[in-house]
Amino acid sequence: MALMKRLFLKIVYTPRALTYNVRHLSTEVAHDDSPVEMENPFTKEKRQCILCKFNITPDYKNYRLLSQFQSPYTGRIYGRHITGLCQTKQAAVEREITKAQNCAYMPYYYKDKTFFKDPKLFDPENPIRSHRF
Amino acid sequence: MPSYEMAMIIRAMPKVELKNALMRISNGIFDRGGIIRKIENLGYRPLPYKTSAHGLVHKEAIFFVFKIDTATTVVSDLKEEYSRDVDVVRQRVFKVNEESEHACTLETELLPPAYRKEVQEMIKMGKSQVNRFRHKFSYNSGLDYYPFQK
Repeated sequence: MALMKRLFLKIVYTPRALTYNVRHLSTEVAHDDSPVEMENPFTKEKRQCILCKFNITPDYKNYRLLSQFQSPYTGRIYGRHITGLCQTKQAAVEREITKAQNCAYMPYYYKDKTFFKDPKLFDPENPIRSHRF
Repeated sequence: MPSYEMAMIIRAMPKVELKNALMRISNGIFDRGGIIRKIENLGYRPLPYKTSAHGLVHKEAIFFVFKIDTATTVVSDLKEEYSRDVDVVRQRVFKVNEESEHACTLETELLPPAYRKEVQEMIKMGKSQVNRFRHKFSYNSGLDYYPFQK
């Protein structure tokens, strides 16, 4: 029994001492593999509105671009929850549309029918936030 | 001298007359000490809505943009002069937009309401005000009558 106990102790205790030694050594030697300070690589890319993305400043003379933000049914300007623009650009678009309408570049109550087939920048049926109506 | 843009809508007319009209408009600016940087012709096209000017109804017109530099005090003079010009259907003067560096704030605007700064400010303001549903009138406020309907 005493022999068994001695054997058991040998088996159990020797590896512990070994692992301790190994761990101690590894921290000293393998410093190349230590953690590196870096930015979170999984952060998502910042979303930008379409006008900021392509760096476009809306202008009242460019009424073709502005007409894309106008409803083809009523000629009214789509809201920010539909166009997906940032606050600044939406305000600029609205300001320039009123200017263009005032200068008779753009109609008030309808959209110019020659611009009906222009590419759609957004889908009025799928707003970012739900409609008020 | 600040920069302005004059959007001029000139009635449809033959080239020779148009040239005279443009000369007249330009001379109005030069006479008042202004300068013209550029004259842009946006072409002859139908108006989006019919416009009556000087007793005539116009459905087509020629569009011009004058980029000018003048004194601010001159602008109203110019407007007044062109309002009397029978060839000018409509005229608008705008100050040239200044280029401004602006970073897109869409990301912060799409956050849930509790994280948006403007919503946080609204909540803060609401908390600083008296809740008129829960507020109880105290009788020892100095008034010797009850100010509300019982």
